[in-house]
Amino acid sequence: MDHNQAFFLGNIRTALGEAPHSERVKSMFPKLFASPDTTEIRQKIAGRTVAEQDELVEIFLKNGNSLNICSHIVASSDAAAAVVVELIRSKEPEFNHTKHVIGHDHPDIAALQLWKRFNREAVTVHTAFNSDRQVQEKTIASFIGITAPTIGVADSATLIQLTEPGRPRSTSLLPSIHIAIMRREHIVADLQEAYTLLRGRAHLDSLVFISGPSKTADIEAHMVHGAHGPREVHLIILAEPSAAGSDAATTEAA
Amino acid sequence: MNDYSKEAQKALASPRLQASLHTLQDRFGKGAMALWANMEDQEMRRRVKKSRLKNLEHLDILLAELARNVRARGGKVYFAETAQDAIDYTLKVARDNKVKRVVKGKSMISMEIGIDPALEEDGIEVVETDLGEYIIQLAGDKPSHIIAPCIHMDRKQIGQLFAEKLGMDYTDDPPTLTMAARKELREKLLSADMGLTGCNLACAETGHISLVSNEGNIRMATTMPPVHVALMGMERIVATLEEHRETVQLLTRGAALQKLSTYVSFTGGPSSADDPDGPKEFHLVIIDNGRAKILADPEFREVLACIRCGACLNICPVYGRIGGHAYNSSYCGPIGAVITPLLDGINKHADLCKGETLCGACKDICPVQIDLPRMLAALRQKLAYASDRWDTRQHNPAEAYGFTIWRLIITRKPLYRSLLKIGRLFQRVFIKKNNMISSMAGIASGWTDGRDLPPIAKKTFTELWEEKYRNRQAAAAPETEENQ
Repeated sequence: MDHNQAFFLGNIRTALGEAPHSERVKSMFPKLFASPDTTEIRQKIAGRTVAEQDELVEIFLKNGNSLNICSHIVASSDAAAAVVVELIRSKEPEFNHTKHVIGHDHPDIAALQLWKRFNREAVTVHTAFNSDRQVQEKTIASFIGITAPTIGVADSATLIQLTEPGRPRSTSLLPSIHIAIMRREHIVADLQEAYTLLRGRAHLDSLVFISGPSKTADIEAHMVHGAHGPREVHLIILAEPSAAGSDAATTEAA
Repeated sequence: MNDYSKEAQKALASPRLQASLHTLQDRFGKGAMALWANMEDQEMRRRVKKSRLKNLEHLDILLAELARNVRARGGKVYFAETAQDAIDYTLKVARDNKVKRVVKGKSMISMEIGIDPALEEDGIEVVETDLGEYIIQLAGDKPSHIIAPCIHMDRKQIGQLFAEKLGMDYTDDPPTLTMAARKELREKLLSADMGLTGCNLACAETGHISLVSNEGNIRMATTMPPVHVALMGMERIVATLEEHRETVQLLTRGAALQKLSTYVSFTGGPSSADDPDGPKEFHLVIIDNGRAKILADPEFREVLACIRCGACLNICPVYGRIGGHAYNSSYCGPIGAVITPLLDGINKHADLCKGETLCGACKDICPVQIDLPRMLAALRQKLAYASDRWDTRQHNPAEAYGFTIWRLIITRKPLYRSLLKIGRLFQRVFIKKNNMISSMAGIASGWTDGRDLPPIAKKTFTELWEEKYRNRQAAAAPETEENQ
């Protein structure tokens, strides 16, 4: 603790009528950092049936729709790839004239095998590999960024993106279009469930909640999408028929 | 005439501003009230308020924990007692990193401490990145709303401004204007050396600051530049993630009726070495600048529970007419009328608390139910009677004499009645055709300059009551006898 801090916190203690020079330590105030028991919530998430998960998907879609998230439900990686390929083909780059796409280093994105799908077209697909020193330039050049968020929140149509090796934050930020691929079982009901799962990830230096495309209403309260971040957000929900690993959300995020 | 009244009159005379203020309040003010009324969890606001107050009582412990956790990730934490301390530290970071361009994510405390001029004096370019703030900066103007900074400008003015400053063809189409700013600011954001943001809510137990935005400018400013400096008012902290969850939802609901803003970003330190983006240096500057003094006064401590959503601006009948500029402060509206005098001098900002109506709407709409009307009255009390603690002098000694005389009169019934009778006679010369008094002389003109005053009634309430009561008593008397 530096001198500044000691003085500053001493001032606060004086203001609170405490002795300024005797530091108050958190172990003396166990209630201050007490959090409710989340065992029940964890069990609820882990025990969700496919039918219940499908219900959450429905809620997410409905809420996402009003936030301008375009959702696609697919049954396989191939079908997901088809959606992505169609988006890459039909959309035009905003900041340059070449079609670069960048994706996170994630098994669900690798499974799309995008590099195989543009043999005769001028589309370059990058992966934000941890070892690659050029990731930032590639991200700036890309018009589509693909991520696989860890948690989806049905109630607020929120995607929770954790910053991890091979999964930089700019992938869902710099490109004009953000495509998120999410397994059905990673969608939870509400923020309470999501925060419960996040507790185990609190050591991360950065994470972000994304609820829709970037927007502004600063000019005469007129809503415009694409202020600084992506102007479009597409969510592809991967709902494989054999929903093995319904507790994947728990294991992945815990 | 003082600045407050002058700016207020300017605002009242602008039909454009009046229209936008009306739209804003109609949508967000009424919307928030409806949201609170229909909220499933009716205890949430009370719970969050309670936790805010509890956290204030343990602020030293929370801040130490926050600092410990941020430092554990390699972030730097600096405790700044004054605005100048915060400026000096930020300047030093900028100099050490040879910063040429700073991109800012909307931050009220940066305006409170006046950091922009200090950076600019050092030859550093400062760019606001929130669209509304950017427009304000281009125009050399001041923001007039917490979340809608350029609410006082219309699309035509903004179109002209962009044509002039950005060299584009004139248009008043909001999407085209927004896209122009997007391109312009993207260049700035990608090439900036330092990102400067505020902090909406820090979480002590995890050691993160969190920032809400809809545009994504704050994500940009905290992701692309190699250095990130976050300025945080010392009260903007929660203890646990659980408290964060509830508080951040009240913030985004109060601010713009959103379950969550488009982005909520958490930052707890510099990015790891193998991360291609994210700042390599993270500095958290925790600022007092007069807050400890507020904390020490039980009468005003509550105001530090504020989460700066701006909801009170969206319902206040005074803000709704005079707009933000009249407050002449980083913080306007009802919250500004309380916090500005407390931070920057009660006498200096005497007009602010006197200008509000005490109607109580700000308390009703506040997501954490802060009793602003009570504190406005308390501030007026400090002005009326002076206070050593707040270093206020009596604002208007003549007023105090006036009230002393008034007390003498009103506590002496015969004297009061005879003076009333004299008044009734005397006022006749002032009553105009509309049966109102519209001009009086001398110091009394203050009552009639901006409005008409109804004349003293022909009969006082007591006189009327006595007449009616006498009749009723007579009528009721036989009934009473029967009942017996």
